[in-house]
Amino acid sequence: MYSTELFVQTFISGVMIGVLYALMALGITFIYSIMRMINWAMGEFYMVGSYLQYMLVVGLLGTDLWWLAIPMSVAGVFVMGIVVQWGLLKPVFTRPPESRDDYATVVTLALLLFLRSVATGLAGPYQFTPGSNLPVIMVGPMPLAGARVAAFLFALAALGLFYVLLRYTWYGLALRATAQSRVGVQTAGIDVLAVDRIAFGIGVALAGLAGALLAPVFLVYPTNGLITTMKGFEIVVIGGLGSIPGALVAGLLLGLIESFGAAFIDSSYQNVYGFILVLAILALRPSGLFGERGREA
Amino acid sequence: METALETIGLVKRFGGLLASNEVSLKVGQGEIRGLIGPNGAGKTTLVNLVTGVYRPDLGDIRLAGASLLGLGMHEIARRGLLRTFQVTRLFGGLTVRENLMTAFLARRHHASGGDALAQTARMLEITTLGPVADLPAKKLSGGQRAILQIACGFMIPGHCYVLDEPFAGINPVIKDAIIDLIEDVNRRHGATFLVVSHEMAVIRRLCPQVTVMMEGRVAAQGTLDEVARLPEVITGYLGKALE
Repeated sequence: MYSTELFVQTFISGVMIGVLYALMALGITFIYSIMRMINWAMGEFYMVGSYLQYMLVVGLLGTDLWWLAIPMSVAGVFVMGIVVQWGLLKPVFTRPPESRDDYATVVTLALLLFLRSVATGLAGPYQFTPGSNLPVIMVGPMPLAGARVAAFLFALAALGLFYVLLRYTWYGLALRATAQSRVGVQTAGIDVLAVDRIAFGIGVALAGLAGALLAPVFLVYPTNGLITTMKGFEIVVIGGLGSIPGALVAGLLLGLIESFGAAFIDSSYQNVYGFILVLAILALRPSGLFGERGREA
Repeated sequence: METALETIGLVKRFGGLLASNEVSLKVGQGEIRGLIGPNGAGKTTLVNLVTGVYRPDLGDIRLAGASLLGLGMHEIARRGLLRTFQVTRLFGGLTVRENLMTAFLARRHHASGGDALAQTARMLEITTLGPVADLPAKKLSGGQRAILQIACGFMIPGHCYVLDEPFAGINPVIKDAIIDLIEDVNRRHGATFLVVSHEMAVIRRLCPQVTVMMEGRVAAQGTLDEVARLPEVITGYLGKALE
């Protein structure tokens, strides 16, 4: 019963979902590394991404043009992130830094409740699906759901784009420098609040992308960001807060552990396996796989 | 001589501590001015007021006649008033080369990447940091960090530099290299400098005029030898007369 085929299929589905989890974790960790704050409303940006995708596919473009709806949804969430940074977070960041994370926590938690309420108010507590007419893809003898494969490929492309942006552009250099020292970039002449704006936009756009890509798989409803956000934070704990390689490696690890746990132990405990890993990491290496030791609170 | 940097009656209070007590000073265009005084005299507070880290409670700061009040740190830097920190603020995880590139592009982000690369290569040569160009800045020695921090400020020549203890704990070779850099930028670009330091030998070499701060106020001004003869400077700072 434990055949090679099952093993390979489990591995592939673990990697495929792991990359999508990594998108969420990357968004959380990226915003943290630049702004030194946790965006607790990450799941709601995921949710908005999934609603935008649903509305674009069902209301405007049709199922065949789902791939065109993806960048549009992501762009929508990016713009929303920029507006949120400008309207809600920038005022917090122009004050002295002492209790900045406390304010940012309150602001983003309020945003979480607000966005869920808006979604419920406008569309009701129902589940929607944009549907998918992508065929099942056979890898050897193994069937893979087309929507999942497409989501995986899109996520890979987005990660590649993110890497190129960070590594080879002037914006990327400014972002990486800001992650190293916020005072340093200001002294050099960079407007750190403008960097925050871009960073927050990109960070939530990663969540929006995950939401749009997973809309046909995990459905669209007001609290659909909850599970993926939880996974995102699990990954951040495993990989180390503020570490981009940590988010990627831990995302894959979580996807694989869930997938193998579900296939070889018991699928009803799928969401528990990750927590076991989190507990193990907290016990053995509290700063995470790639985290810096002794970070100040 | 035209005034490059001027402070007018700067007052800054931290709770009960009057860190800056009506500090007024003028630094002429192209001058290299020393700023000396005992620890806690308010030198770093003055640097932080001038560069926008703190807002003064009262008073004004002017760069070439234009007030800097209310401007953010990055806006002041873009006007060409640049600083270094006593504890170096480099981008530790970025390479030496990337640190220099960031400094260049931060103030001239419409420049082509080629310009940034060319100026980076030139600066690596001048500072002899070439061999460590691709190491992360956090791997550098204290002296290398100090010279890198100054080199970042020189990537695009500014109007005025405020250097907070650039020579503290640095070996004589790098100290000489930093002095050469300062003199070069001063001579070729007419840049103005305000140099905070406890190293009297360096101050004597570099600064025709010094300002002495004590207890948050300007206590004296003149050549180093003039101020070093004043009884209150001897008792309050130097301890004994300079040789």
